[in-house]
Amino acid sequence: MPTTSEYLLLFRGTQWYKGLSPAEIQKVMSRWRAWYSALQTQGKMKGGLPLLSEGKVISGARGRFVTDGPFSESKEAIGGYFLIGVDSLEEAIDIARQCPGLEHGAVVEIRPVAQECAASEFARQNEGRYANA
Amino acid sequence: MRTLDSSETSEISKTQSSEMPGVVEDLFRREWGKIVATLTRIFGIERLALAEDVVQEALARALQTWPYYGIPENPSAWIMRVARNLALDQARREVRFRNKQEEIAGFFERSFGDPPVAQDEIEDDRLRMIFVCCHPEIPQEAQVALALRTLCGFNVSEIANAFLTSEAAIAKRLTRAKQRIRAARITFEIPAGPELTARLNGVLQTLYLLFNEGYKASGGDRLIREELCHEAIRLTDLVAGHSAGNRPQTHALAALMYLNAARLSARTDSEGHILRLKEQNRSRWDKSMIAKGMFHLAQSAAGTEVSVYHLQAGIAACHCAAPDAKSTNWPQILSLYDRLVELDDSPIVALNRAVAVAHVHGPAAGMSAVKSLRDRRELQSYYLLYAVLGEFEAQLHHAEAAATYFRRALKQTGIASEQHLLRKRLRECEKQMASAVTAS
Repeated sequence: MPTTSEYLLLFRGTQWYKGLSPAEIQKVMSRWRAWYSALQTQGKMKGGLPLLSEGKVISGARGRFVTDGPFSESKEAIGGYFLIGVDSLEEAIDIARQCPGLEHGAVVEIRPVAQECAASEFARQNEGRYANA
Repeated sequence: MRTLDSSETSEISKTQSSEMPGVVEDLFRREWGKIVATLTRIFGIERLALAEDVVQEALARALQTWPYYGIPENPSAWIMRVARNLALDQARREVRFRNKQEEIAGFFERSFGDPPVAQDEIEDDRLRMIFVCCHPEIPQEAQVALALRTLCGFNVSEIANAFLTSEAAIAKRLTRAKQRIRAARITFEIPAGPELTARLNGVLQTLYLLFNEGYKASGGDRLIREELCHEAIRLTDLVAGHSAGNRPQTHALAALMYLNAARLSARTDSEGHILRLKEQNRSRWDKSMIAKGMFHLAQSAAGTEVSVYHLQAGIAACHCAAPDAKSTNWPQILSLYDRLVELDDSPIVALNRAVAVAHVHGPAAGMSAVKSLRDRRELQSYYLLYAVLGEFEAQLHHAEAAATYFRRALKQTGIASEQHLLRKRLRECEKQMASAVTAS
């Protein structure tokens, strides 16, 4: 059992910074940068990237439907993510609370990354045996 | 001729942010002012809002990406490049701007070079923007709001905080200003010929107002107020550094701003309480700002005209030049006030003159100078009148009369730091009165 678990922090909302002044944007940006770097230094950052709000949504059998982003609910749209490795959900929550966008209306969603489930682990371990049978 | 670089000013007058190595504290604001001005020239003054949207979006892109990828080597060029792409997108989308594409691309190309050849163009555009914001067709309070918005990158809530008014009121002022620009067909250009002098006077007056708004110690967030002073200085430097604005009067205004702003941080103690001039720790005065002020003062001496800015700068220079309160050249200050009251009949100037009179000829003379104030009625509700009278009475050892004035002054001001000083003075008087009673 690994002692750390992975969590995905999803930053929701791409409108919250629209009304900020240049000075505020710079302040939030530099705090966000400092936050990211600190997690890197502590070895907790497994990867993170910003997402543009344009894009496509594919659905339907064989991808019949291709619709345009940005997504109708811009409050829900994901603007970026961090993948972090920490000891507990509590620690992940503490980290998420430091998001500099929160005070301006950004929303952080924490999703634990699922461990490989028992059934598929069993299948993988026995893969060779069944193949040879 | 360029006198001072605006980036130098902000470096000297402010401490660098430690949060962000490699990025100057006011970078986004500076870039905002520059790019908004240039895009406004390209898109047309009636599309000011479009220029603002483009720059806002460019800065938002920096917010979205720099935290992950780090700060670009040349942050300003990065923002410029993104703004160029967004402006080009806009030009492609709107039929009426199709012909602007070349102009946009051309301008930004020139601004990326090393040295950027577009430097002069940017300066011209910013000066054009200053002339638009300070156009006499726009009501003056709206001029200040517009300048803070378009040139300094303040948003509505920041302007409202600075002026202790509601966001709705500021939004209304901005809307009205933009309507005036359209209705009066204000053009985006630097005035020339005989018009220039009158328009330049308007610009200086608005910048002076902006500075005063920040300088006066009345309520509100101290840091925001100091920022107003720094922005006013930055804009005045810009005007003084441009051939169209490089006049003795402009330098006099710059001198008065530097020489007063240099003493800003020494004006209050660690708890934010007001310190009187004689109580201030003069080693906390900003020496580099004083030096710049003196430099501008020297520049302002060209020509024969003596403006109110010259006289006020001269008075501030007398204070800055004195190593301690005792060695202040009060006779010189009084003679400057004597000339100032001839140009400016405001009762507040006359009240300040009375203080100088008291320093030169004693408190009784100061008292009669106040009593002979022509427009004393206008001052009836002005707390400083009573504070000054209280000081004079206290110096004359009339503790009871002084206490009465200080109490009256206390009633007239709602500002905590002013009240604190007045209460302190009142207590001192009451102590004197008590000991006088014991003695007799």
